[in-house]
Amino acid sequence: MTALHGDINAGLRKRVATLGKPRKATYIVLAIFVLGSLFPFYWSFLVASRDNGMLTERIPPFVPGGNFFANAARVFDTVPFWKALANSIIVSGTVTLTTVLFSSLAGFAFAKLRFRGRNGLFVFIVVTLAVPTQLGIIPLFIAMSELGWAGHLQAVIVPNLVTAFGVFWMRQYTVDALPYELIEAARVDGCSMIRIFWNVCLPAVRPAAAILAMFTFMMSWNDFLWPLVVLDAGNPTVQVALEKLQSGYYVDYSLVLAGTTLATIPILIVFVLLGRQIVAGIMQGAVKG
Amino acid sequence: MTVIDKIAPEGSKAGERVSPRPTFRHRLSRWDVKVSPYLYVAPFFIVFGIVGLFPLLYTAYVSLFKWKAGDDNPDFIGLDNYKDLFGDSQFWNALTNTISIFLLSSVPQLIIAMMLAALLGARLRGATGWRVGILLPYAASLVSIGIIFANLFGPKYGLINGVLQTIGLDPIDWQASRFGSHVAIAIMVNWRWTGYNALIVLAAMQAIPKELHEAALIDGAGMWRRFFNVTLPLLKPTLIFVTITSTIGGLQIFTEPKLFDAMPGSNNGGSSNQFQTVTLYLYQSAFENYSLGYASAIAWVLFLIIILIALVNFFLTGKLTRTPAVKVKKK
Amino acid sequence: MRTIRNGLVLALGITMTALGATACNGGGGDQQTPAAAAPNEHVDLTLATFTEFGYEALIPEYERLHPNIKITPRKTGEGGPYHQDLITKLAAGSGLADVAAVEEGHLSDVLDKGSKFNDLSKIGPADASPDRWLGWKYDAAKTKDGKLIGYGTDIGPLAMCYRKDLFQAADLPTDPEQVKSLFATWDSYFAAGANYAAKTHKAWFDSASQNFNAMVNQLPEGYINTDDKLALESNQGIKDAWTKVTDAVAKGESAKLVAFSNEWNSGFKQGAFATKVCPSWMLGVIKEQAGPDNANKWAVTAAFPGGGGNWGGSYLTVPTQSKHPKEAAELAAWLTAPEQQVKAFQAKGNFPSQVKALTDPALLSETNAYFGNAKVGELFAEQAKKVQKPQYKGPGDGQIQENAASPALQAVEQGKPAADAWTQMVEAAKKITR
Repeated sequence: MTALHGDINAGLRKRVATLGKPRKATYIVLAIFVLGSLFPFYWSFLVASRDNGMLTERIPPFVPGGNFFANAARVFDTVPFWKALANSIIVSGTVTLTTVLFSSLAGFAFAKLRFRGRNGLFVFIVVTLAVPTQLGIIPLFIAMSELGWAGHLQAVIVPNLVTAFGVFWMRQYTVDALPYELIEAARVDGCSMIRIFWNVCLPAVRPAAAILAMFTFMMSWNDFLWPLVVLDAGNPTVQVALEKLQSGYYVDYSLVLAGTTLATIPILIVFVLLGRQIVAGIMQGAVKG
Repeated sequence: MTVIDKIAPEGSKAGERVSPRPTFRHRLSRWDVKVSPYLYVAPFFIVFGIVGLFPLLYTAYVSLFKWKAGDDNPDFIGLDNYKDLFGDSQFWNALTNTISIFLLSSVPQLIIAMMLAALLGARLRGATGWRVGILLPYAASLVSIGIIFANLFGPKYGLINGVLQTIGLDPIDWQASRFGSHVAIAIMVNWRWTGYNALIVLAAMQAIPKELHEAALIDGAGMWRRFFNVTLPLLKPTLIFVTITSTIGGLQIFTEPKLFDAMPGSNNGGSSNQFQTVTLYLYQSAFENYSLGYASAIAWVLFLIIILIALVNFFLTGKLTRTPAVKVKKK
Repeated sequence: MRTIRNGLVLALGITMTALGATACNGGGGDQQTPAAAAPNEHVDLTLATFTEFGYEALIPEYERLHPNIKITPRKTGEGGPYHQDLITKLAAGSGLADVAAVEEGHLSDVLDKGSKFNDLSKIGPADASPDRWLGWKYDAAKTKDGKLIGYGTDIGPLAMCYRKDLFQAADLPTDPEQVKSLFATWDSYFAAGANYAAKTHKAWFDSASQNFNAMVNQLPEGYINTDDKLALESNQGIKDAWTKVTDAVAKGESAKLVAFSNEWNSGFKQGAFATKVCPSWMLGVIKEQAGPDNANKWAVTAAFPGGGGNWGGSYLTVPTQSKHPKEAAELAAWLTAPEQQVKAFQAKGNFPSQVKALTDPALLSETNAYFGNAKVGELFAEQAKKVQKPQYKGPGDGQIQENAASPALQAVEQGKPAADAWTQMVEAAKKITR
């Protein structure tokens, strides 16, 4: 930075200072997008707070009714919500932690370490992403039965312990976000590889790890068909439990959407907690040097 | 794949500085450098070995049989399923639909995502709120999405046709029209996935040192030049990621066309398959028609098509981002 | 790299054993009479159902009667994911419940896999004899070689529902007895519809496929003949039904609403059609979708064009995967006994398929306030007896209805020429039965 001082005129300095400062228009555009994003949630809540009749109204009402807690209570009466919630937290929590950890490790190795077969293995991982997943459920169920895992939570956890998506993403991010100079400096200080990963790499890739955590938690939380097929009836995840609300020849959407609204709350909490981590990485300071 | 070498800068030589008298510490350290990378990538391959490999081999094996679900002794028919597939007009129709929906969705989606990322990258008040807000569609329940989009695009009572008629235009039968249905599905896809891609690009933008922008500004570069000369080249690895994952996701498009069909739960993709995608056809073959062999052949052919198109997009992205960076050193 | 190789070896090991298991497992179609568990040995049974079977209170009752038996219910909400789960486990060769429900529409495919299910006429208890059920319901679950693979649970006998206010506005009779003549045959039904449409410029029925399915089901032979060959093109009855329905569409009789779609739901409230093919369970759908504003506008009558018909209902099967087939068959037989199905009817409104249940006072006295206190129990019991002998449902029959006929009629309603749509249906049916 020091090199920049002195020879720049005042106007330019002002422009540099305002670089990245948002204009009003920025807020307006973003607000439009966020409103569009929020709409289904508000709409779900509206239905959940009223009754089914709202769905066939030509002009639906825009203020919530007073039935939300009654509908929520019916959800708790109909499905083992707390048990399912606990299962989902265990599954999604475990899967998120391991995916972020293992993907970051593999991403670090693929991006910054040299080893024989590196490119080949990496391309292989990316290629596995292209395999259509719809059919996998049958052989996967066979495999889980053979392993004796069918019916148990590990049948839902193990397939997602680390994903090709996660490895690919962390590798792409680490390539530019982690300068070699930092690794070298740590080597000179006598750091082991794992320490370099933990103390240098992880802080540098924090935003990417946060995003991966959000995506992974979300995917795992909303997964439905595989848990339905492989888990025992008494041991459901939230989505499997909530699906039972859609039974009968007509669906009571005020009940169903009360359930989905409840099930969305943990996602929102996770999003807010992790969203804070998407900040400029420590590299901003590190490369200033 | 030499292309990967082009993305990755020369590897670190740090670990290979051999000291003249190898002490135990040094040997340990060399061993650490040699073995660690394999340990770090091992979890993926272990998990893949347990749960990924077998399904792959299974579908390859099954695709060589006339195999109906539950058959005890299916007939081996070699490559006949693949031969049938190439003569199957429904498959080509589904492939055309898939590519049409893919183009209608991913191109605008990625452009808007880049724009949103740039907006979100500003020093916003309440930054977390905006970011979470933009990602919300990704978390919406499929039940609510299904009903809301059905209300929007309903041919008779839908909101959009209501608006069209109010302003004196002809209503569009979003279900019946092939192109109309593709547009509607693309809108659904974009609504769900733009924020997701924006956040990915945002994270990568955050990693670009601010000094580079400042330096470029001082060199007199305007907004667009800064974007093309600083931002874009440094986003290259992320853009490659976004392009490849969107290509894969787009060509495997399944949930949105299924939700869009007026016939609930249908895999037909409309009354005359006008918006049936390849994965819907695959799914229908396996789980409605019980034809596991044929469905497996579809899965493998789709896999190869995706690889092909992903490669093309990979090179296109490389071309697009090869603009030389401003001559500012990182250090 | 060693881990990779180990992974490969492991995966291959699984591949071999699993492929071996699925390919060679159930070679014997005629299973030996399975050994029953010792009288008081503890037995765990799983019971898989979808939507509402009304068995919630019956399960603990059965466990009280049989202290050595523990039942784990496995209930899925929607039929779609339920049947996908069923196919997955059928294909995987393991994981199916001891007692697994199968919906009528999927029955033809399940019958085609008859070797995967136990013959209940052999292993079931003696009281579950053919005369327990309506003949057509019982016979529909028999494979071609005479195995009984499922006990009937409920049915959906067909009647006609109509809007009294819309009838009145069109100068049609509104009394349930007087409208019967309109619904005597399909010709009289469509003729009345043509007059109605010409007079009011409004639709007579909701969707062409709703009528067409019922018409095809009344024919002596369906899409598939008894040799399991596609007989769609040579079946004059199907061709006639097609012509009648598409003519009716051309005359503006159809509201062109896809059944169970969002717009179809709205159609009830909008009064978009005046009549509706009405299985017993449809009354609940109409009440829910038309809403309180339209109470007493809908009526139901004990008539159906061309005689009678059935739409919906299920069976309980015992897959050969079950380790306790005898106990499972006993449970299935008990659940489908008249006494229990009457309780299920009282709990969830599932209309029973058992002869004795159809004369039960609890059923006969059932009325429906939304439909002007019509005696719906008696009405649908009467309709159930009008169903002729069941049509043979060959493999793929259910799929042809869902994925060939219904979409083709939807295409007609969207403006496709009827002749082109016919070709489309035939092509799709050929592909399904390939």
